[in-house]
Amino acid sequence: MNRLVFLGAAAAALATPLSAQQLRIVTSTTDLHSIAHAVGGNRITAMSIAAGYQDPHFVQAKPSFALQLAKADVFAFVGLDLEIGWMPTLLDAARNARINPGGRGSVDVSRVIPVLDVNPTADRSQGDVHPRGNPHYWLHPENGKRIARLFRDKFAELDPQGVRGYNANTARFEARIDSAVKALAPQLAAIRNQPVVAYHTSWRYFQDFTGMNIVGFVEPKPGVPPSPSHLAGLIQHMKRTGAKVVIMEPFYDRKMPDFVARNVGGNVLVLPSSVEGVRGIDDYLELIDYNVRHLAEALR
Amino acid sequence: MRILVVVAILFGVPIAAQQPDTTARRDSVARADSIARADSLRIVRELERIRGEARPVQPVGAMTPTRAVQPGAPSLNPNISVIGDFIVDASPDGSTLESARRFDVREIELALGASVDPYFRGDFILGLSDEEGIAIEEAYLTTLALPWQLQARVGRFHLPVGKQNTTHRAELHTIEYPHVIQRFLGAEGGKGTGLALSKIFAPFRFYQELQLTAIERFPEEHGHAHEEEELGEEHFEGAAAEPPNKTLAGLGYTARFRNYWDLDEATNVELSFSGGTGRVAEPFGCETFSGIEPCPGPSGETAVLARRSLVAADLTLRWRPLREGLYRSFIVQAEVMRQHKDQPALPSGVPASAVYLGPTEETNGLYVFSRWQLSRRVFVGTRYDWLEATGDAERDLTAISGYLQMFPSEFSKIVLGYEHLRPDVGERVNRLLAQMTIAIGPHRPHPF
Repeated sequence: MNRLVFLGAAAAALATPLSAQQLRIVTSTTDLHSIAHAVGGNRITAMSIAAGYQDPHFVQAKPSFALQLAKADVFAFVGLDLEIGWMPTLLDAARNARINPGGRGSVDVSRVIPVLDVNPTADRSQGDVHPRGNPHYWLHPENGKRIARLFRDKFAELDPQGVRGYNANTARFEARIDSAVKALAPQLAAIRNQPVVAYHTSWRYFQDFTGMNIVGFVEPKPGVPPSPSHLAGLIQHMKRTGAKVVIMEPFYDRKMPDFVARNVGGNVLVLPSSVEGVRGIDDYLELIDYNVRHLAEALR
Repeated sequence: MRILVVVAILFGVPIAAQQPDTTARRDSVARADSIARADSLRIVRELERIRGEARPVQPVGAMTPTRAVQPGAPSLNPNISVIGDFIVDASPDGSTLESARRFDVREIELALGASVDPYFRGDFILGLSDEEGIAIEEAYLTTLALPWQLQARVGRFHLPVGKQNTTHRAELHTIEYPHVIQRFLGAEGGKGTGLALSKIFAPFRFYQELQLTAIERFPEEHGHAHEEEELGEEHFEGAAAEPPNKTLAGLGYTARFRNYWDLDEATNVELSFSGGTGRVAEPFGCETFSGIEPCPGPSGETAVLARRSLVAADLTLRWRPLREGLYRSFIVQAEVMRQHKDQPALPSGVPASAVYLGPTEETNGLYVFSRWQLSRRVFVGTRYDWLEATGDAERDLTAISGYLQMFPSEFSKIVLGYEHLRPDVGERVNRLLAQMTIAIGPHRPHPF
């Protein structure tokens, strides 16, 4: 009899619909994690593999991440080969068919993004290029909305009972973005057409959003450290174009950017390219707000 | 697909004409054509607008901005990579490489990999070298959809015995495998052909993995140079009465138990234990006045199956602060291995003067390796090797080596190495080596 009770309880537990549990979401970056939380609310649990203050190209494929992925219902990643140096190793180690490419829980977020800088003929003589496009798209708020809609649809597919909540959360998130962007209008106006130099190609979409004019890069080619001759040319170019601000991510060495900025009488602005990239930036809207306000301030 | 449809409509492919033709249908087709043409014109205008959009000032440096609406269609072709491994031996007393060359293309690896279907992934790595011609380095199918965090692999693969043996030689932090791995598992690492099964679990809230393999045979020991010379004509391989794989007990088996802890976000430790066993044919012979001669047993056999076993433990500590991870990291790694060889009973019916000629000793060996990152592209490393003396060896083998690694990019590596080797027989050797490794093809995942 006891055995029957036990079997009955086990069967009931197995039969519990997925929607009664929280969806387990793993994202490759903190930005996707933040948006997933905004959409999923308390119907999901989420964790990010990359920290906001590390270079998402170079994440150690630690076995502890594989354990998280092994239990995940959804793995959402930036795509466009941003995570190609570590994601295949982790997916292989996780043995979770749900999140393998083609699985219901595998979400390549770049699918819903109008991608910039696609260059199918690129080769590695051009540096660490992404032939399928620039992957730093989350830095445009319109893409933040697209990501939220994608998450809404995916979460609703896997947890139909949560549809109303996901719809409402997504609408609220989009409204917050619109409102934040509206509030940033004066800063955006101050940034528009202003020349700046960036360390890496991470700011391409942010450029589209703000209208800033990236006139050069500290890296001569993506992923390639600068040579003295490149920096000398960059300094001359900055003088010609009037660029005074060098923007860079927190995980790069600032010796070279400082050198360049010193030589043009400008300054280096460390901007987080991801949520939690600097202390106090804990969600996606704070990231956009922080970057716009600090850039406008630096360009003043 | 959409473009094809648009083109078809624009060029007036009469798809609808194949249907029964009525006035109403003709009207509806005309309306559809009109809508489709309008849609196609809108798409064409949109593409023209996108292509013709004015660009900002041409930036100097890292990118050439272009614009597209969606990434390209994924390809169903397998990933194809080629890894070239080039060696220069500048040692003062001549080449110390197995090939005896000063300049050597040690190996070219051609790697192909792709998902076969939703259930399997296929990986094929061919090794090309002057010595071996074309060899199947690895070729295996990996399951993608087994339940309970299980994964199976069928084919030929690097054996999960010890830590560094699971890494391809070209991807090592050093130019060659540690001496203990070269001796016990082979200069190119130990591989096996068979079946592997592994499972990950975390009952104690940290990562654990059990890896089991059953293989055709356990890798042969890599002989000492002096053994070949000293045994001379006495050395013969012999043939056993039956092949080792006739029974399941004759196959090779390995097991590895991995334990992994994150100490903090920058530091982690891995401690693993592994072992392997298998039976190999070892010769026996009879002592005569002229030396040792083959003396076949009742079935004509001149060898007997002897068991060779290996146990190992490895410890790896990694430190890489996330914020400065592009520029600073440290790794220290140690492995200890112990090899045991049984002395089997000789078959009944062989002459009384018959003696077992295979090795019987127990041998220990270890290495300790560390590597420090100096800058984004430059690392320095050092390794200490020790191998216990066996057989006719005069002393233990010891070696100390230092390495300077430079990574022009993720896809190329230059290593300069110096090794002071005190072999188990003969004079001390100073080795000066340089290695260049390049990879072309898709981005290779970084080994962990």
